[in-house]
Amino acid sequence: MLTFNVDWSGEFFAFFLLAVCAIAGAVLAVNFTKVVHTALSMAFTFVSLAGLFILLRAEFVAFVQVLLYVGAVTILMIFGIMMTKHQDEGKEAGRPLQETLAAIGCLCLFGILFYAIRSAGFPAPADPLPGDNTMAIGKELYTGYAIPFELVSVLLTVAFVGAVALAKREEAEES
Amino acid sequence: MDRYFNSPVSWGHVGIFALEAIAALAVVIVFVTYAIYFERKVIGWMQFRIGPNRTGPLGLLQTVADVAKLLLKEDTIPARADKALFILAPALAFVPSFLVLAIIPYGLHLPFADLNVGFLYYIALSGVTTIAIVVAGWASNNKYALLGGMRSAAQMISYEVPLVMSIVGVTMMTGSLNLREVVLHQTGYFWHWNFIPQILGFAVFVVAAVSELNRTPFDLPEAESELVAGYHVEYSGFRFAFFMLSEYIYMYAIACLATILFLGGWNPPFPQLDFIPGLIWFALKFAVIVFFLFWIRATLPRLRVDQLMGMAWKVLLPLAILNIFLTALGIEWWG
Repeated sequence: MLTFNVDWSGEFFAFFLLAVCAIAGAVLAVNFTKVVHTALSMAFTFVSLAGLFILLRAEFVAFVQVLLYVGAVTILMIFGIMMTKHQDEGKEAGRPLQETLAAIGCLCLFGILFYAIRSAGFPAPADPLPGDNTMAIGKELYTGYAIPFELVSVLLTVAFVGAVALAKREEAEES
Repeated sequence: MDRYFNSPVSWGHVGIFALEAIAALAVVIVFVTYAIYFERKVIGWMQFRIGPNRTGPLGLLQTVADVAKLLLKEDTIPARADKALFILAPALAFVPSFLVLAIIPYGLHLPFADLNVGFLYYIALSGVTTIAIVVAGWASNNKYALLGGMRSAAQMISYEVPLVMSIVGVTMMTGSLNLREVVLHQTGYFWHWNFIPQILGFAVFVVAAVSELNRTPFDLPEAESELVAGYHVEYSGFRFAFFMLSEYIYMYAIACLATILFLGGWNPPFPQLDFIPGLIWFALKFAVIVFFLFWIRATLPRLRVDQLMGMAWKVLLPLAILNIFLTALGIEWWG
């Protein structure tokens, strides 16, 4: 099970680097006490994940990931944090029992995932990826999946209108 | 890209990468140096001044002297600042601005990253710089800097939307997001370039792009008369230089993108002029756009802060959507 046959190609190096970056960002996000630092290290993880998508030849997903998660979600979070809070919150007292249990749980989860990934076979895809897969995604989205796509956009519009309505009502109550 | 993915890594490849990056950096730094000189000269002439003319012949070394001064300046960090983020922010602003340059096709046969998402790459990475600006404003622990950072984030997020929407028309006409395909689609006479069928999209693109660059008339994040200097009040020395550098690199990138998306890239205006290399045509169009940016900076007053958001959401976005509809109708009727 534990046979690592690795060829030292550029892909392997890039994968290794990005994986380390993603994990480091996630670990730091948990460990930082200041919320702005947490948000930034999450952004770092998002960027590393986008790099992994590029390695999988999914450029469109990768840059949409950067655009939405790094460009929009992280900025919104930082914005919210800056608007609301300026003091650092104090460090919470340690809870040894919970921490031990959580560590055991994490190790078990890691063991299960590691076993599952190592024992899974990854069959090669039947037909090779299209060269311009961004275009392929677009074509699929507007032909085969047009109705789900439209439904999702209706859902988004409803959420959008709802958000505006909620924000407006609060404003009216204040005045 | 695949040839680097699958071949074994050697010091040769590392060397090639490093050399290419240094070459690109050198080109960009020379551009930035003389763009600043040119900007000061042009604005000077427009205001009946002479502009820099003391350092070096015709003042050509003025920017070099300014940069040397910046690099030698004392590097101050405010005592109450968030030190780590304060140091990180200029680098975080610069790195994406430099990465953006990887996808720009200057000519048909020049090497660049031939990415099939094209413009999306630019938009995605420029969002990272917005984070850096907000973080710089926040980490400085200064009210003016924070206000500048906030304004910048709000403005850049708002104007990103019409910017993306304005190029949807170009993408629809080309049938691809790939910048190389976009240029190849515009081959022919100058009326085949996208700026004529996409005149509305071009107008929205230019306005939104100027706003994305935080330049006058949209320079509210660094409005001197209101905010002292904006998000970089507390920065001095080479950290300040990094912010300025990334700002000018974005100007370089936006001018390149406008050339590629709307002005036909490396195509000559008449196919008969094909004997002049494409790189020269590209540079000429690029220079016209850069001059245009300086020109509006010298002539237009700044927008008021309460009009800024209305401009993006009530004027530019409907126009961009209208442009998409018109393009769709045009493609449907005339193919």
